[in-house]
Amino acid sequence: MSKNFLLVLTIVAALSVAVVLVRVIDARQHGAAKQFADESLYVDGATAKHLALAFNGLASDWYWMRSLQYVGGKIVAFEDTHTESFVLSDLDLHLLPSLLRLSTALDPQFIAPYEYGALVLPELNSDEAIALVNSGIANNPAAWRLYQHLGYIYWKRNDYEHASATYAAGARLPGAPAWMAAMGARMKAEGGSRGAAREMYRHLYESSNDSAVREMVARQLMRIDSLDQRDEIRNVLGAYQTRNGRCAASWHEVANELRAVQLTLDPRTGAPLDPSSTPYELIKNGCDVGLDINTEVPFK
Amino acid sequence: MSPSSTDATQQNPATPAHAGVISNNPFGLGLRRTLAIARNAFREAVRDRVLYNLVLFVLLLIGGAIFLGELSAGQETKIIIDLGLSAMLLFGVFIAIFVGVGLVYKEIERRTLNAILTKPIGRGQFLVGKFLGLCLTLSVNVAVMGIGVSLALIYIRRGWDPLAIRIWPAILLIYFELTIITGVALLFSTFSSPALSALLTFLVFLIGHFSGDLKGLANTSSSAAARVLLRVLYYLLPNLTTYSVITPAAHGIAPDAQSIVLATAYTVVYSVVLLAAATLVFSGRNFK
Repeated sequence: MSKNFLLVLTIVAALSVAVVLVRVIDARQHGAAKQFADESLYVDGATAKHLALAFNGLASDWYWMRSLQYVGGKIVAFEDTHTESFVLSDLDLHLLPSLLRLSTALDPQFIAPYEYGALVLPELNSDEAIALVNSGIANNPAAWRLYQHLGYIYWKRNDYEHASATYAAGARLPGAPAWMAAMGARMKAEGGSRGAAREMYRHLYESSNDSAVREMVARQLMRIDSLDQRDEIRNVLGAYQTRNGRCAASWHEVANELRAVQLTLDPRTGAPLDPSSTPYELIKNGCDVGLDINTEVPFK
Repeated sequence: MSPSSTDATQQNPATPAHAGVISNNPFGLGLRRTLAIARNAFREAVRDRVLYNLVLFVLLLIGGAIFLGELSAGQETKIIIDLGLSAMLLFGVFIAIFVGVGLVYKEIERRTLNAILTKPIGRGQFLVGKFLGLCLTLSVNVAVMGIGVSLALIYIRRGWDPLAIRIWPAILLIYFELTIITGVALLFSTFSSPALSALLTFLVFLIGHFSGDLKGLANTSSSAAARVLLRVLYYLLPNLTTYSVITPAAHGIAPDAQSIVLATAYTVVYSVVLLAAATLVFSGRNFK
């Protein structure tokens, strides 16, 4: 009994020492690990598929999750060192195209990385985004959603002709919803309008099953709603300035007008709330409105 | 004497009670002898706690189902199928290799083989029985794992998921691949040590998944001799890419009926080749 007790004690003690040693080693290699995280991938898709044997689906999942972790890690690192909200172009995501390419090369029918790439990559390099989604269309010619995403990328590039043609091409596929054809026509007629943007994001939100994509699109919808709200607030502030010959000193001075245009106000300060329920800021000595630094609404 | 061989000899139908059947139906008797060996190989695997790997598999699936939702951004269904079926193949290959290479070797090492072969059991019947026994073990293993994956899918969806059914053709093909690996392990074990047999079988598993490259190399090689050699290897080695349908299964794409029929036929034919070759080698061995 005492011998067993001694053995258990030895195991626990040795394991504790091992944990301490691992922590010391980790601390010493922290820089190296960080460098490794951003190191370029040396294996191309075709080689990775060969090396994965029958486990290419699992390897694809691994690279998909690694893509998400990569972006998430960059966001956390940015937020640790900055006080303002991030935009994707602020993050150094140079490895993301390779990760997504690998994931889709290992499993060409895996739609989620194409969708994710279509939404994130245009902020970094729209050519990479187009190449990724085009490869998705080549491997999944019946997936109308990929045409929707390709149309979105062209729209982001202000290339409304290509966006319109892409939506129209997707609309011809079996199972494509009727609004794809309508979006094609709208892109041609008023591609740069806020209404077209809202409709596009709404359809992206409704047609995606991917929680990461839906979250990103929801933020963009908030941004468009916020742009509309800020136009309304600017009108109210401008009218106040015209009436009084000065800008508003506080939100309370324009509270009634803001309520009249259906804005929700913060009960304490009277500030209108943005779509993420964060109060707007009165800027430029009360002559203009801006987003609070803590808001979840994207600045760009 | 090992419990397995004891059981096998005790259940040997070549006893006076079965004498009438022996003389009247030699094929039926041979089949019963083979099945007796198979039954005992299965019992031995169970006694050796081979099926304990199922516990690890279930833990892997539960862990996957709980944690992958957080990491995969809504892709947990695909990842559970990829993870479950890949683990099924990997665990199955390890069982086929490590149990398969010991099937014959253990009997030789313990000298129980001599006792069995003194009975009216042919060496071929002995090998086929061992093969069927391990295939039975693997079928139980694969079936339980398949049910586990289906239940995990239903759990994730919080209700019925058609994928819980659609993955089964892929599971069947995984099982076929495992039977081929079992046959290869058995063949090597008839003339080699367990360690070398395990290594060689694992190499065949690897090469079997690169068989497409052999054909590609044969088509592009400039040397006529190399072309012939590569083509011979391509047709000689098992073509395991036939069974690689895990990735499409994760998207709900099941292999068509024709593919399954062809894969079944290939499995049967290739298993016959492996068992015949194993019998050929085993028949020439002297155990005195």
